[in-house]
Formats: sequence, C-alpha cells, structure tokens
Amino acid sequence: MHSVKRSLILFLSSALLLVVWQLGSVVLDSQILLPGLGPVFSALIELVQGGPFFANVFITIIRALQSFVIIVASATVIGLLGGKFPLFSLALKPFVTVLKAIPVMSIILLAFIWFTSGTVPLFSAFLMGFPVMYVQIEGGVRQMDKSLDEMCRLYDIRGRDKLFHYTIPSILPFFIIGSRSALSMVWKVVIAAEVLTVPRFGVGARMQLAQVQLETDKVLSWTLIAVLLTAVFDLLFDASVWAFGKLKKRVDRGRAICNSKT
Amino acid sequence: MQFQNISKSYAQNCIFDSFNLEIEAHTILSVVGPSGEGKTTLLQIAAGLVELDGGRVIKEAEEQGSISYLFQEPRLLPSSTVFSNVELALRSFVSSRTEREAVVLHYLKMVGLSDSACLYPAQLSGGMRQRVAIARAFAHPAKLMLLDEPFQSLDIKLKVTLLNAFIRLWEESPRTTLFVTHDPKEAILLGDAVCCLGDPKKPLLYQKIHIPRKARNIGDQTLLAVEASLVQALVSS
Repeated sequence: MHSVKRSLILFLSSALLLVVWQLGSVVLDSQILLPGLGPVFSALIELVQGGPFFANVFITIIRALQSFVIIVASATVIGLLGGKFPLFSLALKPFVTVLKAIPVMSIILLAFIWFTSGTVPLFSAFLMGFPVMYVQIEGGVRQMDKSLDEMCRLYDIRGRDKLFHYTIPSILPFFIIGSRSALSMVWKVVIAAEVLTVPRFGVGARMQLAQVQLETDKVLSWTLIAVLLTAVFDLLFDASVWAFGKLKKRVDRGRAICNSKT
Repeated sequence: MQFQNISKSYAQNCIFDSFNLEIEAHTILSVVGPSGEGKTTLLQIAAGLVELDGGRVIKEAEEQGSISYLFQEPRLLPSSTVFSNVELALRSFVSSRTEREAVVLHYLKMVGLSDSACLYPAQLSGGMRQRVAIARAFAHPAKLMLLDEPFQSLDIKLKVTLLNAFIRLWEESPRTTLFVTHDPKEAILLGDAVCCLGDPKKPLLYQKIHIPRKARNIGDQTLLAVEASLVQALVSS
C-alpha cells in the first residue's frame, strides 16, 4: 500500500509538471519562448529518426563514462593515500579546496584555451568530479574503526582477509556515495562543456546548434535526452549496488548455511 | 607468564615500578583495581602493545606468538557473518577448510549460536554478539588469553549466562588467562588466583582460590572472605 501511494504521488507530481509546461506554453503562445508538449515530442521523434542522433548520444555517453572511470580510479587511490597519510592529505588540501570552489564555467573556458573541443568535456568533468569523490574516500579511511584494526592485528587475521572483511566494507559506503555524486555531476559538466566548445558530436553541441537557430523545441528535446541519460545511468548504478549487496549476502549466507548443515 | 621487574610510566604518572607478577600456566589470574591503576596497561604489556620502560615479560614456549583477546566490546566485523567472524581468526593457523569449519561450528554450538551462523552482527543482541566474541577467542588457537572486562555493562542475568559459557569453554580448553575486571564478584568466580592493583611496586593483594570453578557459589563463605579482602584492598588503595 505504501509503495502504491508513493508511485501515485510521483505520477501525479510528474503529470502536474507536464500540465504546468503545457499551460505556460498556451499562455505565452510562442514556439520560440516555450513550445508545447506536442511540438517538443514531435521534435524528439524527428531527432531520434535522424542519422547522427545515436552518434551524438553515444559520444556523450563515452565522454561521461570515460571521465567517471578516471575520477573513480584516481580519487580512490589518492583518497586512500590521503586518508592514510595526514601529511599527504594536508598537501592536497589547497588543490581540493580550489577545485571545490572554482565555477564550472571557469574550468570549461580555461580548458578550451588549453585543449581541443573533444578533450574539454573530459578534463572539465574530471576536475569537477574528482574532489567530490576524493573527499568521500579520504573521510571513509579516516572513519574506519581503529578498534577493529587492532582486533585484526591481535588475532593475526591475514592481509587478504582483512582487506575483504574490514578495509573494503568500511570504505564501500563512502565509495558508493562519492561515485554516485560524481556520476550525476559528470553528465552536467560534460554536456555544459559540449555546449560551450561545440565539438563535432555530442548532446551539448546539438543543443547549442539548436539554440543558435532558435529551435527551442529541439533544445528541449535534447534536454529531455540529457535528463533521460542521467536518470538511466543513476538507475543502472543503483541496480548494480543492489545486485552486489544481494550477491554478497547470498555468498555469505550460502556458505554459513551449508556449514551449519554439515 | 611472568612480569619481571616491569616499569611503565605515562608522563609523570608511574603505573608500574619494578613490579612482579606471575600467572601459572593454564590458570586464570583475575586482576582488579581502581581506574587508572594499570589494569589495561598490564593487558597491553602482556599483548606487546606498549613498550616497557624497564623489566621484561617471560612467556612459556606455548604462550609465545599470537594472543586470544576478549575486549570490553565484541569488536565483530559488521559486514561478515557470525560464522566468518569466528572463522577468520583461524585462517592463519588452520589451513584445512573442513577442519576450520568443524572448529567454528563446535564453538558456536558451545555458546548456543549454531542457528545464528548466517546472521550478521547487527541482527544479534548485545549478549549474542559478546558470545560470538567468546567463541572467536576460544576458536583461536593461542595459548595465552587476555580478557579486558568483557562482562562489564551487562545485566546480571546475561552476565551469569556469559560467565557460564566462558567457564564451560575454558574448562574444555584451559589456557593461561589474564582477566582484568573492576568487579570483585566476577574476579572470584573465574580466577584461580585474584590480585589487586593499586601500588606501582607490588600487588596490594594476591590470593589463590582452591575451590573448583564449577563448584563455586557466590554465597560460599570462603569466596565471601576473598571478596571482602579484595574490596578492602580496593578501598584502601
């Protein structure tokens, strides 16, 4: 009953959003300022049927995933070192503070001076996402339960076992929060960088071209695609975390139950 | 195990000054004392976790190496099952998986947790978690066991249950044990000898208890007399 109620509220609020959009379009009565739902969905279908649609979406996905992987790998390694060695963390503090405070547009504009338009989204997304993930991992290492570390030492728990039963489980919640935030941020920055630098392919580049030609219905269609991409990848991420949790429990329980029966 | 002329100070606070104490092999020595008089330091010295300013700790050959430690809190790995929490402590010592499994199941059965093997610590009550910790301590093959007030802050019923579980396991596999507590009753129920700290140079009291552990009753006159001596030593320290 609770989940039905929840779904109903979500459905009604989504419907309300569409109604407000349509009403706004009727009141303004201008296809340039705010086209209605009909023209936008027509434009969306037209875009999907057009030749370069999938190339544009694919390139944006690749850019976002590439920067996400680079962020996760580098921030995890550097975050682990930062959490373990306070002096290293102190040395990184100015960089992290500057990266957290710097406006995304400044990074994109500077990157556009230094790199080609295809590299700018990657570089900008990395610089914006790195501190988010780094802060989580570093904090996670610092918050690890030291009394469990002492227990592992006294009981001579093997290095590999300690890694899988103490270190990784202690950091995992922080890793999940950090990487989820970084993933959401990556889409926004990659598309913003594509809008400003207009590379040959990319959702942001198409958005910019549509805006220059005052095709608001196409701008909104590309925006819907961007929202959809973010939502789908957030969903995939949550599903992977859920599946991993289920798998771990299944392995743990399967083994213990199996042992109890012997 | 012998603490021979050990000295240890923290800043200006002298905890031990040429202090001597012996725990006979395969016996339990209960140590009581007021807070800050060196109970935990004595355990840390026995575990090799703190460096001595002077003196030495002599251990029998079988007491060398790893140590079985029961902490005030259970210290279980939260994302591992009850079974894994006990089994992990064995992996460095028992290579055969079948053998390890048999040991773990035996000790879980001894503490009444065979049916909880696949549960996680968060799914257990405080008393059950401490029983897992007891099972882990005994499953671990070390011949030296250190107990840092593992029964404190438990209600009396649970405390009696855990003390009985501990005694059952210890009688099955006796090991040299240093038991630190602030409760004189726990000390006399478990110890083959009791000792009271309070003077950096020597124990304020050291007394052996000859009544078999399983036959001990808290109302027994001899035990009451030992308890009274301990309380008196604690008050006078």
